[in-house]
Amino acid sequence: MKKTYHIIITIIGIAGMTLSTTFLSSCLDENSKDKLLEYKAYNTATNLYINSVGNLYNYIGGNSNSQGIQGTYRGVYDYNTFTTDEAILPTRGGDWYDGGFWQDLYMHKWTSTDKALLDTWNYLYKVIGLCNHSLAEIEYNKNLLNDSEYNEYTAEVKGIRAMFYFYIMDMFGNVPLSMKDGATLAEMTQATRQEVASTIISQLQEAATYLPDEHSNIQGTYYGKFTRPVAYFILAKMMLNNEIYLGTGEHTFNIDGKQLNAWEACIYYCNMITKEGYSLEKNYADNFAVHNETSSENIFTIPMDKTLYSNQFWYLFRSRHYNHGSAIGMDAENGSCATLSTVKTYGYGTDSIDSRYSINFYSDTLRVDGKIVYLNNGDPLIYRPLEVAPDLTGSKYEKTGGARMSKYEIDRTAHADGKLQDNDIVLFRYSDVLLMIAEAKVRNGEDGTQELNMIRNRVGMNDRKATLQNILDERLLELMWEGWRRNDMIRFGIFQKAYDQRKQVDNEDSKFTYLFPIPQAVIDMNTKLKQNQGYK
Amino acid sequence: MYNWKLIIPLLIMPNFTMQAQEKHSLSEIDSLEIMRLIPERKQGSADIVTEDRMNKGLVINSLNALSGQAAGVNVTSGENRMAQLSSVRVRGTTSLTGGNDPLVIIDGVYSDLSTLSSIYPADIESFTILKNAAETAKYGSRGASGVIQVTTKKGHGSMFHISYDGNIGFESKYKTIDMLQRNGYISTAKTLGLDYNDGGYNTDFQDAVTRTGIVQNHHIAFSGGSESSNYRASIGVMDHKTIIKVNEYQNFTAKFDLSQKAFDNLLSIDFGVFGASQKNNYIFDEQKLFYSAATQNPTYPEGMNASGGWDKNSTASQINPPGALLKEKNDDKNINFNTHLGLDFTLEKELHLKLFGSYSYNSLENAVFCPTWVWAQGQAYRGEHKTEDMLGNATLEWKHSWGIHAIEATAMTEYQKSKHSGFWTLVKGFTTNELGYDNLAAASTRPYGGTGSDYTESSLASAMGSVSYTLLNRYTVAANMRADGSSMFGNNHKWGIFPSISGTWDVAAEPFFKSLRKLVNIFKIRMGYGLSGNLGGIDPYNSINLVQPTGVISYNGSPTITMGQFRNANPDLKWETRSTFNIGTDISFWKNRVILTAEYYYSKTRDMLYQYDVPVPPFTYNKLLANLGEMSNSGFELGLGITPISKKDMELNINMNVAFQKNKLLSLSGNYNGTQLSASQITSIGSLNGAGFHGGNNNIVYQIIGQPLGVFYLPHCTGLTKNSDGSYSYAIADLDHNGKINIEDGGDRYIAGQATPKWILGSNISFRYKEFDVSLQINGAFGHKIYNGTSLTYMNMSSFPDYNVMAKAPKQNIKDQTATDYWLEKGDYLNFDYLTIGWNIPVRNKYISSLRLSCSVNNLATITGYSGLTPMINSYVVDGTLGIDDKRSYPAYRSYSMGISIQF
Repeated sequence: MKKTYHIIITIIGIAGMTLSTTFLSSCLDENSKDKLLEYKAYNTATNLYINSVGNLYNYIGGNSNSQGIQGTYRGVYDYNTFTTDEAILPTRGGDWYDGGFWQDLYMHKWTSTDKALLDTWNYLYKVIGLCNHSLAEIEYNKNLLNDSEYNEYTAEVKGIRAMFYFYIMDMFGNVPLSMKDGATLAEMTQATRQEVASTIISQLQEAATYLPDEHSNIQGTYYGKFTRPVAYFILAKMMLNNEIYLGTGEHTFNIDGKQLNAWEACIYYCNMITKEGYSLEKNYADNFAVHNETSSENIFTIPMDKTLYSNQFWYLFRSRHYNHGSAIGMDAENGSCATLSTVKTYGYGTDSIDSRYSINFYSDTLRVDGKIVYLNNGDPLIYRPLEVAPDLTGSKYEKTGGARMSKYEIDRTAHADGKLQDNDIVLFRYSDVLLMIAEAKVRNGEDGTQELNMIRNRVGMNDRKATLQNILDERLLELMWEGWRRNDMIRFGIFQKAYDQRKQVDNEDSKFTYLFPIPQAVIDMNTKLKQNQGYK
Repeated sequence: MYNWKLIIPLLIMPNFTMQAQEKHSLSEIDSLEIMRLIPERKQGSADIVTEDRMNKGLVINSLNALSGQAAGVNVTSGENRMAQLSSVRVRGTTSLTGGNDPLVIIDGVYSDLSTLSSIYPADIESFTILKNAAETAKYGSRGASGVIQVTTKKGHGSMFHISYDGNIGFESKYKTIDMLQRNGYISTAKTLGLDYNDGGYNTDFQDAVTRTGIVQNHHIAFSGGSESSNYRASIGVMDHKTIIKVNEYQNFTAKFDLSQKAFDNLLSIDFGVFGASQKNNYIFDEQKLFYSAATQNPTYPEGMNASGGWDKNSTASQINPPGALLKEKNDDKNINFNTHLGLDFTLEKELHLKLFGSYSYNSLENAVFCPTWVWAQGQAYRGEHKTEDMLGNATLEWKHSWGIHAIEATAMTEYQKSKHSGFWTLVKGFTTNELGYDNLAAASTRPYGGTGSDYTESSLASAMGSVSYTLLNRYTVAANMRADGSSMFGNNHKWGIFPSISGTWDVAAEPFFKSLRKLVNIFKIRMGYGLSGNLGGIDPYNSINLVQPTGVISYNGSPTITMGQFRNANPDLKWETRSTFNIGTDISFWKNRVILTAEYYYSKTRDMLYQYDVPVPPFTYNKLLANLGEMSNSGFELGLGITPISKKDMELNINMNVAFQKNKLLSLSGNYNGTQLSASQITSIGSLNGAGFHGGNNNIVYQIIGQPLGVFYLPHCTGLTKNSDGSYSYAIADLDHNGKINIEDGGDRYIAGQATPKWILGSNISFRYKEFDVSLQINGAFGHKIYNGTSLTYMNMSSFPDYNVMAKAPKQNIKDQTATDYWLEKGDYLNFDYLTIGWNIPVRNKYISSLRLSCSVNNLATITGYSGLTPMINSYVVDGTLGIDDKRSYPAYRSYSMGISIQF
């Protein structure tokens, strides 16, 4: 009995150990069930479109810091807005000091180690990386597509990539030009701003041919898409800023077989947009209404829907006073407001106040649904447009200083304290196109008064002559808080000057602040990159 | 190699039973038996904490029983001292990504800290702590961060026993932050000419959120059997209502173990099953609650206003009415089920085949509700996460001795599979707060991304062989070789080979030592070196290119989900390797009245798994999980046991362990795919939160290459400077002498100290006189610093009167909340963990075999120079809270309890 037992057990033991060892070597393969092997995402033409081209649209807007071109904090928008004479985020006692971040933006004291700047860089180049990958996948799966699909998909991705390079080049200037998937660090050499700008122009020109000739802001097949007018809009911006992007001196472009200088090229692209059927909305405010998808003026928007999409818009929430928030059943952060020079440009406190002031700002005694909003101590909530300073701590108007953002109609059914609203965020719109024409004409020695006054008359304001100063002012009045101010101030040569309550920083006459520094962490990891001039 | 620590309680306290134990306890085993056991343990320096050494006091979770008892083991039980938040570090942090929790093995079943914390403390017979590579080699990668072996009580012998033990206690706070009360608040605002709101009340919100806590534990165990089989069954109930209203914890456990011998004792069978059901009601956001309780306007009411809402101080956006915050719910329910079966076949007298299989199941349900008072439109979340673990192993053991030689050999193969699945949903838009999370249909929207599910599985395979040879019972050499394979690594990197070797020398057994043996009873020297692999707590599938839903876009006019990349994949992902060297000695003098152990270790982690910063471009995402960096840990551990008095009626024992730990992050750079990559030299890991603290230069604790993990890297404050309005600001030194103050990373900052203690102390003094005994546990940590972010915030007059300030703030009148070293304080402390007085009532009764009454005070007192609420914050676990006291400390409280143990 005992012997039999031993034999049986020994056999079982040896067999078991042998079997299990064999088994062990083959059981470590990974087999994901809740995520897809990548090639399976490109199995049909439709899926190839959705997962290579479509996927990129998730990154136009955002819902966390530094993500998205507009809508969130500490990203492209804030670096183009709170660094200017258009907007300020004062320190209000215990609120908004944030390590001096906002004051530094206003004072132009940003540095290469700002985390937000690195996050912004990483966000913009992430999308570049995704675009390059999408192009590679479209190329690899070309057999699924017919020629026109192939051309259209490729054009769309190249267009989006060019748009992201536009923001990168505009902010950082001399940057690596990464144009292919799977590139190595060694290939990431620094291109000059001119090289990057020329690439953007040629890529957009190439893409425009194949892009759909459709309005992107309107719900339907092309909703939110990078269509041909969007490409033209960026091309017009490139041309208008040619002296900044391509260097001084005259630049000529061969367009439709004609040699055009940059101003003429700008006008050409603007006219192409006009031909697409855009026109000024009768009512300025309609472009920012809860349901602004029908606007005839908006060219490129970030689609918003409180249940369908995850893009968010935080700027109304950031600006309004706490009790203003309570009055509409939402929270608030009581932060951003207009600068003194801005409210003065609007003619605040004079008889001739611009009609867009009350659309863009909450000012003076606040009423919600016709009723006065009160502070906790029983006083009415009065926003004080003239009581603004980089640091309001200790001021009597610490919490109420400054005119607050209104611009977008309040979506009373919005979620997340209004951040998940239905109003689409307007990135590009036609009134900017008209102002670009006016400016390009003036810079080309022509008269842009007609276009300028189309803008002014639409909001019931008197005619003005199209001088550069009037155009710059009009851009402020019309495009208030739409993310273009830094771009404008640089083009008009005033960004480095003392303005509003801002003093120049050391050596700013050299215009080094026209570019942001390349984030130090990026240089640390890619030592070939040279820091922009003027930054240590 | 055997560690004498096991012997101490037996040799010097033969009749000393601190708690009513089951009669089979170690006291019954005579010292000869123990000495005979010694050669059985050949390797390393296992530290064994038996029931005698486990903490007495009010032990509400098994990990508390271990705290301060073993050198190099840090038990951090969270500031609420609740079980689930516990974390344990054995010899500090060795990996950056994770996998720093030691492996917990409960009766041979691989488990984790949360399961251990659900076991009833009275069910545990001993903890064995394995720290050196040679000892943990048996457990491979899972044991890379140390091993805690838990042996639970089993039935012994054939006698039938029933035992009950239980205790009841209450907890009361003794220290809160001294904030301005109503009168001070109003008069300060008036003096400063500031506009304030007067709600008409006088409320101490720190009082309002607390209560007297109540703890109850009850436990019954049965055991019995026959010569060839025995069993033990137990059930336990724990109920803990903490001092914070809403914060509660309940645990119900049941456990059954059976052992049976069969076929003429050729086969022995071990079977065990353990189940626990826990319910936890957490605070939704501790920091928000304590921050709000401290800084809410004290003139506001404690409760709701007449219209059924809460008076919110609308200008204080970062806080909420504390009463409303208590209405938030963050509850979870955790069910554990574990079972194992072990078969031990005696093939030959010297050859055993052991087969072992286990299955564990864990289900965690979370339910969160945020009412409309604190969260616009309200929000609720329900989620369920299930984990299943299956393990099987086969071991062949052979022992043989002839003459002066003895040899032991083991071969083992093992396979483990873990599956995780989860499901969750988030809803928003409530019109009523009555239903909480119990009816999600009461919410109007289910936003994109709020609902999802996941599934992952991973497997681990191992093969191991080990040989140990002993000569003359004095010299032992053991070698171990194992191969571990994990599914989570790249295709060509799944397997890692991890050898180890160790030796011991029993000097006292040498003939030349004979003359000294009267003075020196034990003298051993041991040494070991080995490699172990670590998975670093990473998730599966990092090595393959996968896509997942990335968002929803409009496609052809309808919302469509897109799939896309979400991280950089690393096909070259491989094992993180740690090498450890240790050398130690055990010495005892004067009939073991003084016992000393000392051990030095040095370990180095290579190919460290970490989410490295990578350059964008060319990478798409700025993080890549890769193997690059190196980190070292070294330390010296000293144990001392003294028995000055040892008489029949009286006995005094002093035990103490000290551990010095030194950690250094050596490098975070290396070669990836031919490209030299390096991560930032300076990376922040912890910052301050609260009003005016978003972003900017509020980073406090950093990970800096060449420094220990977690150092304070701060601007230097040279004092306070007076502002024009009479207030004060922190004057900041121009450390880089460039004429400008720049408090960013790399600017005017310096390394101001480390967040982890340089040395820690655990000591126990126990005294017995006849049937009475007293035990005092003292723990301490030294050489580290704490950033008092709480005081920085509450002393800042620029946030007043929106936020209340400390009573002493108006006088100091600081209007600045720049984070400097002004509020960096020494963290040294000595904590009187508990004092227990017990009485073993001498009963002479046919049925009752022992009866013990005890009473305890936990958290008796703390000696510290730290000015905040408590220095016992997180000083061990590397996360965003390491070393930073930032408005989230519980009010300091003591527990008073009474316990009774009866054995029948």
